Amino acid sequence: MSTKNTHIPEWLTVPFAGITPAPSQEKGQDLFPTGNWRSIRPVYRDKLPPCNNACGTNEKIQGYLDLVKRGKYLDAYALIKEDMPFPSVTGRVCYHPCEQACNRGKYDEAISIRAVERFLGDLGQALTNDVVKPGKPNGKKVAVVGSGPAGHSAAYQLARLGYKVTIFEKSPKAGGLNRGGIPDWVLPQNVLDREIERLEQLGITIKTGVEVGKDVTWDSLKKDYDACVLAVGLTEPNSVKAEGEDKNGVVYGLPFLRDIGMGTSKVKLGARVAVIGGGNTAIDCAREALRQGAAEVTMITVEGNANEMPASPEDLHDMLEEGVELMHGRAVTAVLGNGKVEALQLHKARFQGAINASPITVDREAPSERFAVDNVIIAVGQHASLNWLPAEFKNERGTIKMDKFGRLGNTNFFAAGDIAQVGSGQPLMVVNAVGDGKRVAFNLDKVVRGEKLEPRTIPVDVIFDLNRMNMTYFPHFPRIQQEMLPTKTRTKTQDEVIQPFTEEQAVEEANRCFSCGTCNACDNCYLVCPEPCIARPERSNGMYKILVDYCKGCRVCIEECPTGCLEGVPELDFDTGVVRMDTAFAISPGLHGRQAQELKNLGDRAPKNI
Amino acid sequence: MATIEVQRQLLPILDSPNQGARFYNPELPSSEPFVPGHRTCAGCGPSIQYRMTSKAAGDNTILVGPTGCMYVANSSYLCTPYNVPWAHTQIGSAGSFTAGVAAAYEAMIRKGKWKGKFPNIICEAGDGSASDIGLASISGALYRNHDCLIICYDNEQYANTGIQASSRTPYGGMTTFSPPGPEVPEGKKLYPKDLARMMAAGHPHCYVATASVGYPIDLMNKVRKGLNHKGAAYLMIYTPCQKGFVYETPRSIDLGRLVVECGLYPMWEWNPEKREFNYSFRPASMRPVSEYLKLQGRFGHLHAEHIANLQKFANEQWKMMGVELPQALIHAADAKNLTNMAAAAEAEAVAQTL
Repeated sequence: MSTKNTHIPEWLTVPFAGITPAPSQEKGQDLFPTGNWRSIRPVYRDKLPPCNNACGTNEKIQGYLDLVKRGKYLDAYALIKEDMPFPSVTGRVCYHPCEQACNRGKYDEAISIRAVERFLGDLGQALTNDVVKPGKPNGKKVAVVGSGPAGHSAAYQLARLGYKVTIFEKSPKAGGLNRGGIPDWVLPQNVLDREIERLEQLGITIKTGVEVGKDVTWDSLKKDYDACVLAVGLTEPNSVKAEGEDKNGVVYGLPFLRDIGMGTSKVKLGARVAVIGGGNTAIDCAREALRQGAAEVTMITVEGNANEMPASPEDLHDMLEEGVELMHGRAVTAVLGNGKVEALQLHKARFQGAINASPITVDREAPSERFAVDNVIIAVGQHASLNWLPAEFKNERGTIKMDKFGRLGNTNFFAAGDIAQVGSGQPLMVVNAVGDGKRVAFNLDKVVRGEKLEPRTIPVDVIFDLNRMNMTYFPHFPRIQQEMLPTKTRTKTQDEVIQPFTEEQAVEEANRCFSCGTCNACDNCYLVCPEPCIARPERSNGMYKILVDYCKGCRVCIEECPTGCLEGVPELDFDTGVVRMDTAFAISPGLHGRQAQELKNLGDRAPKNI
Repeated sequence: MATIEVQRQLLPILDSPNQGARFYNPELPSSEPFVPGHRTCAGCGPSIQYRMTSKAAGDNTILVGPTGCMYVANSSYLCTPYNVPWAHTQIGSAGSFTAGVAAAYEAMIRKGKWKGKFPNIICEAGDGSASDIGLASISGALYRNHDCLIICYDNEQYANTGIQASSRTPYGGMTTFSPPGPEVPEGKKLYPKDLARMMAAGHPHCYVATASVGYPIDLMNKVRKGLNHKGAAYLMIYTPCQKGFVYETPRSIDLGRLVVECGLYPMWEWNPEKREFNYSFRPASMRPVSEYLKLQGRFGHLHAEHIANLQKFANEQWKMMGVELPQALIHAADAKNLTNMAAAAEAEAVAQTL
């Protein structure tokens, strides 16, 4: 066929046999950019691992586990500190929703994330200077009421944003629930003291012994500060509404723990102690009672069996190991005794609804039981004390009236923590309060800077399905259990029950992480590509690049990606890059674009020129 | 004239994955003698093998390519994806050509005409060249113990001419030379030639091993062992062919794993010093052959008795490896049991129990 009078585009005037360009490691064999064979393009798209999603403060758990397994502990600690001001505390007390969500739980056993967090937290505690620095001062003053988890978190984030923060704390020592609600054998006081020291190093002023409404009023907060975070928590214990509840020897769960924590406890427990309630605080109270000298501790719950109790199964197991008895399906109807409690009157009872917060039906027709005790600890939840709050911001449920950003009306006041989350359906736990404090701090910053508050609208792709990953790359490995003090002796002391991970154990445990949906530089795609068209200037997370000029779209890399971070996207979804056409000739990468342009321009060209 | 000692390259063995750092690959060599821009099919198994082999060998390498996919598809218009010296040779002369290259380099170094270390000389023959047409010349090269590595990339057929049966095509495999029909329902009646064992038995002074693209680090290490071995070495590497096997392209690596897990491609090494086979390689699980067959269109016509025959074949391979067979796999070797759903379920469960 003659090519006379035929337009030969520039990209077709390639040298032919004998003088073809040699291939090079940098450019490949660029006479043949085979990318135009492709109909599906592999794309690296990181998904959110379920642990990050489940965490109350969205810690980048996969991220720090990945750093730990590479031995970069300080980086891992810095990463955790972005979302969590006190990993040494949550590494001990957290009820780890991350571990419940862990995909590894569906495969063998969930990763012991909390233990690794504690390892990092303890590492951070040992540092002379913290890795976190205060932000550039912006001249704004913020008051934070309450130094519990939410207040601590909000103050921490605000200080990092450059605010001048003052914390008001009612108790003589800062720490809130972390100090008052958590016994020493879970969280030693010196660990918390160190974290509060870290907070002060960020330039935060902590004023203890200052009660909102009494020592500092709503109006003075409004006048003296640019904004205010109310993280007062739930301070008032709920009562069981039994007759004679005011008798001597009846104590309430949280104040009982708080007084021991603050060192102001005057309670002297007798030999037989009953704990009313089936939650986590009740469990802590029961275990604390053993350590305060009680010989027999019985836990009385309305729930019909141990599985229904709204408590952490691990803590429940540890409590039973320590010798606490359980008594299910009963409610206290009266506290008997002459001035001092001598016995409890119990009736059969059950919850009306499916959830533990629903009203209780007490079977008063049935004969009552008498249960002899010396002391009663009532731990059936808390409510807020909001006398100081202007009436316009209270709602009918006895909590603060606020919008979904935690803002009170049009004011610069924000509410965070348990006080904001109670009744929202979220379980009240330290990590959720920390997350709330963090989000409120960011919202407050937006309001102060005059930006509009908008809910997050980006859809999050959380990877729950193991089929989206390649499980052949993950051998089964059992979870490493944290060592514990022997059951016999631990109830005699205030020593920490759960022992920390050693460095080897932490690395071993972090190694078990699937890194769900996120590139962790495993090099697998790089190794299996038949072209090979996956470039990797250095072996590092997310540094892999697909040379689209050559990728034929075989999808081997997608299939073999252990973490599921690679996915196939139809080529037609891209409006840049390779366009399929009849010929494969192009002498340099990027020529496809020019070829495509030539083809597009064909329509504009006069027929005689083609 | 003073002769110069031949200096050889000694390549370090890579750490095995799945040890210590779980599924992490070790640090891989950085050189890339095989570059993109070749015209093999998407998901090409031989090309995966070629890339891994050349990466393991490094830049001081000479590749010899007898006629086959890796010559035909890769060297059109006199342009190749090989970033190291590469030469084509006739399909029958793979061994003699490679032997010549090796002998020439030894002589040149001896005479001081070539400065530097002795290059890695690798011959990449397809199974057509290695098991049928070029068998004699390869055997000759091994027999004379030239310092080279001869690789048979085993895609179990003549693929570049349009899928014809070779002596490595498995029993039951459909090709254009072995179409299934009323007379021969299984397509191919003959069992494949046991090429690697034949080479080990006939040339016991050579390093001989089998490998699969499903186990890349193992493959790269065997290449390095073969190159480090002073004298001839022979590797037979399983490389799925997407066109001939008729499977979905993403499954290339997966098939390389499954063929080993199903016992159809036993992985072993021949130790030339001790003169014995090393059968210590164990895949993560054992599976019935049906798991492997069902992914491929070339086995689509098989009846229960043919699958049972293949299972019998696989069971013999397991026995050779010294693996105790689970009862389910013995059951699966009987055609009667294969039509029975319960037995099929039992065989399926093997993978979970092992």
